[in-house]
Parts: sequence; structure tokens; C-alpha cells
Amino acid sequence: MKIETIVTAIFVIGIVWGGVSYFLLRAIKFEKSKNSDQE
Amino acid sequence: MKQEEFFTSRLGLILATLGIAVGTGNIWRFSRIVAQNGGGSFLIPWVFFLLFWSLPLIIAEFALGKSTRHSPIGAIAKTAGKKFGWMGAFIAFVSTAIMFYYSVVVGWCIKYLVSAASGDLFSTSNHLEYWNNFSGSSYPIVFHFIAMLIGSIVIFKGIVKGVEKVNKILVSSLLVILVILFIRAVTLPNALEGIKYLFTPKLDLILDYKVWLNALTQNAWDTGAGWGLILTYAIYMKKKEDIALNAALIGFGNNSVSLIAGIIIFSTVFSLSSTDALIQVSQSGPANTGLTFIYLPLLFSNISGSMIFNTIFASLFFLALSFAALTSLISMIELATRTLIDFGIVRNRAILFVGALGFAFGIPSAIDVKFLINQDWVWGVGLILSGAFISFSVIKYGVDRFRTEIINGPGSDIKIGKWYNYLIKYLIPFQAVVLLAWWLISSTAWDPEWWNPFHSENLGTCIVQWFLIITVFIMTNKYLVKYTLDRKS
Repeated sequence: MKIETIVTAIFVIGIVWGGVSYFLLRAIKFEKSKNSDQE
Repeated sequence: MKQEEFFTSRLGLILATLGIAVGTGNIWRFSRIVAQNGGGSFLIPWVFFLLFWSLPLIIAEFALGKSTRHSPIGAIAKTAGKKFGWMGAFIAFVSTAIMFYYSVVVGWCIKYLVSAASGDLFSTSNHLEYWNNFSGSSYPIVFHFIAMLIGSIVIFKGIVKGVEKVNKILVSSLLVILVILFIRAVTLPNALEGIKYLFTPKLDLILDYKVWLNALTQNAWDTGAGWGLILTYAIYMKKKEDIALNAALIGFGNNSVSLIAGIIIFSTVFSLSSTDALIQVSQSGPANTGLTFIYLPLLFSNISGSMIFNTIFASLFFLALSFAALTSLISMIELATRTLIDFGIVRNRAILFVGALGFAFGIPSAIDVKFLINQDWVWGVGLILSGAFISFSVIKYGVDRFRTEIINGPGSDIKIGKWYNYLIKYLIPFQAVVLLAWWLISSTAWDPEWWNPFHSENLGTCIVQWFLIITVFIMTNKYLVKYTLDRKS
């Protein structure tokens, strides 16, 4: 596999799937802290 | 009128909003446009415009809906000023006009799901003829009716029992089905060739401005940004609900689904195609149907030696496509319904009216694909104008005030920095002007009679239809705003 293919795949997948994973984890963290505050 | 219904949970809100964004564009349009624009060369600007077009507009829509608690007419009038309510009416009209023909597309997906599950789809080897026989019959009207009926019933049930509950089931199921299809597709022999093509950039194409404009167009049409649909669902957000983090989840989530769908389609086509795979993925067919309804069924019939397995694979694909399409249709019906509710019409009557109108005005597209192509062209490009109007209303309100008081206001989990001001004030209007100019000027080249408003896809038909609608809304602006805002305040 060409190096530019690997670099593009890491760039695109990293931003798109990495972005969704990052924000999902942050949302879960905020929800957990909101729930524990309410308790 | 007091706001009575709210999404019960953050998960419900996110899945419902993701249901707006994820539609047929993620599954059939994305792969075709990637193939036509050089694979990896397209993906780089596609990621760029997710950040610089889709996300700022999704954030703006969430903020407008949550802060004003109005459908687009009231939201724009309250934010930009009463003189500009017609812009909100245009946004609502464009999404409603898209609903008329999108319901027909949902009907096609349901028909192919039924055909795949019953095995009828594999009773022929000539899928072009199969498609032509279907699209030339009266069945598209029947399936269009079924799609509008299902969508209207969901809206009739309300936000919590209808929109939230149904989206939780459909969007979750869609994601699970896509993961199953993804695993199967990437384990097919020669699937790696498809994935390689998807991610390999070509230097000459990265520098081609058309590739960048196509990437911007894909983000404008596919993420739901600027349609007014996210704005409508945001009306039902609780006050303590966050804006920026939820918006980021929708934008990245939508493009993640596109990427999964792209890998599934490229792996499958490159693995099973006996002819030039790239030509097959690129083929458009009438109203983008070529790849999905003509070529993929042929591939599904060859995916394994077992007919049962082929049927399951094809059924899952069309089930995912139907779920994706239906969740987007539901949001369009809600936008039209909510606009009427803001005029003082009770929800049940508004739904009945929207359902009947949606069915009646969708019939021409169900009968004649050329009419559908015309409407897709006129209102698809109109969406860019809708995005510009949303950006305009934020600028009129005061970008910094909008950011600090509304986006970063009560309930915000993450704070948005000053960079947002520059994006919404300069970059979004610039992108909208360039994109509109490019599409409209390009359309003069592909039709010698570019001025003729009775042709399917040209400058003339766009300008005439926009002019008529905008003129009506500007002339009635006073009444539109009066009956929306005065009734609610």
C-alpha cells in the first residue's frame, strides 16, 4: 500500500471517527457528572 | 403558546438529530461523488468543509431553535429582525419542497426492501429493466403514499412518543446494520482494492477547484446543516441542554456514517465487479439511482453461492437505506407541521394538512423522474441560500452576542471561542456565494438553452422558481411574521 494512501486514511479516519469518539466520550462524561450532581 | 414537549434525554435528542443528517445522501450520493472526484483527493476537502461549513451552521441552527422556540419564520424574524421573516419562510419552503419528492425516494427504498426480502429482486438478472418497469408503473405513487403515511403517523404521536422513540429505534438499528454490513464487506475477497482507491489521493485532483466545490456541496446537502430541520428539533431541547457538543456529535457522527457506507460500497463493488468497478460506482443513473437500484442488486445476487445469504445481505442494505431515508423524512414533516403550528393551527390538523399536501405534491415526482430531477436541482441548490440566510440572521443579531449569550449560555458543556465569529461572519457567506455562483454558472454550460425555465436542470428554472417563491414571501412578510410572532408572544 502506498504511503500517501496510509497517510490520507489516518488523516480522514483520525479526524472523522476520532472526532466522534472524542465528543461522545466528553458527552458521556458530562452526563455522568450531571447525574451525580443531581444525586 | 407555551412550549409543552421536550426531548426526554440527551441520547434521544442526539439520535433524532442524527436521523435528520443521516439520509440517502450518505449512502448513495457520497460513494458516487467520491468515485467521480478521485477517492482520497475528495476526502481531504470533505473533512475540511465538515469543519468550516457544516459544524458552524449546525451550531447556529441548534442555538436559533433553542433560544427562539420558533420554526424558521419566527426564529429568523426574532434574530435578524421582523423585516427578514421571509428568509425563514424560504428556508421552511425549501425543506418542504424537498419533502414532496424525498417521500417518493423513501418509497423507492421501501419497495426495494420488500423486493429484496421477498426474493423478488433476484428473480431477474436485468436490473435496469426491473427498475424501469417499477418506475414506469403506478407503484411509486403507492410507496410514496406509504412513506408519507408512516412519517405522518410518527409526527402525529408527538415529539417524545413519536420522533424521539422512533428515531431511537431506527437510528440505533441503522448503526448496527451498517456495522454488520461493514464487517461482511471488508472481509470479501479483493475488498482491500476498493478501500485503497477510497483513500488514495491524486495530487492533480487535490489542486482541482471542482473537487473542493464538490466536497463543499456534499457537506451542504448531506449533513442537514442549513436546512432548518435541526433548528426545528432544537425547539424541543431543554433549557439545560448543551449546544456546541451536541452539534459536534451530529457533524462528526454524520460524516462517520458516510465513511462507513463508502467503505461498504467500495469494498463490495471492487470485490464483486466483473467489469470496471470505478465506472459502476460513478454511474449516476436517473436521479442518482444507478448504483443503488440497478448495480448493487446485481452484486448482491453474486455475493455468495447461497441465495438465503444474498437475500439477507441485500435486505439489510435496503433496510438501512429505508431507515436512513425515513428518519430524514420525519424531520421534514415535523418542520412543515411546526411552521403551521406557529400560525396557530393545532398539531393534529397541521399534520393532516401536511400529510395530504405532501402526498399530493409528491405525485408528479412519483410519476415522472424528470420532474423529481428538476425539483432536486432547484431546491438542492436553494439549500445553499438557506444556509446563507441562517448565517445572515446570526450576523444581524451580532455574532459575538450570539456566541456568548446563546451558544455559550445556560446548559453549555463546552464553550466556543472567538474563531466561531470569523467562520459565521466571513467564511460561511463567502462559501455560499462561491458555491451558488459555481453551480449556477456551470448550469449554463451543460444546457444550451440555459435560460429556459421549463428545462430540468439549468439556470432559468432555478431563478424563476426562486423568484416566484421569494416574491410571494417578501410581499406577505408582514403577515407571516405577525401571525407567527404575535400569536406566540
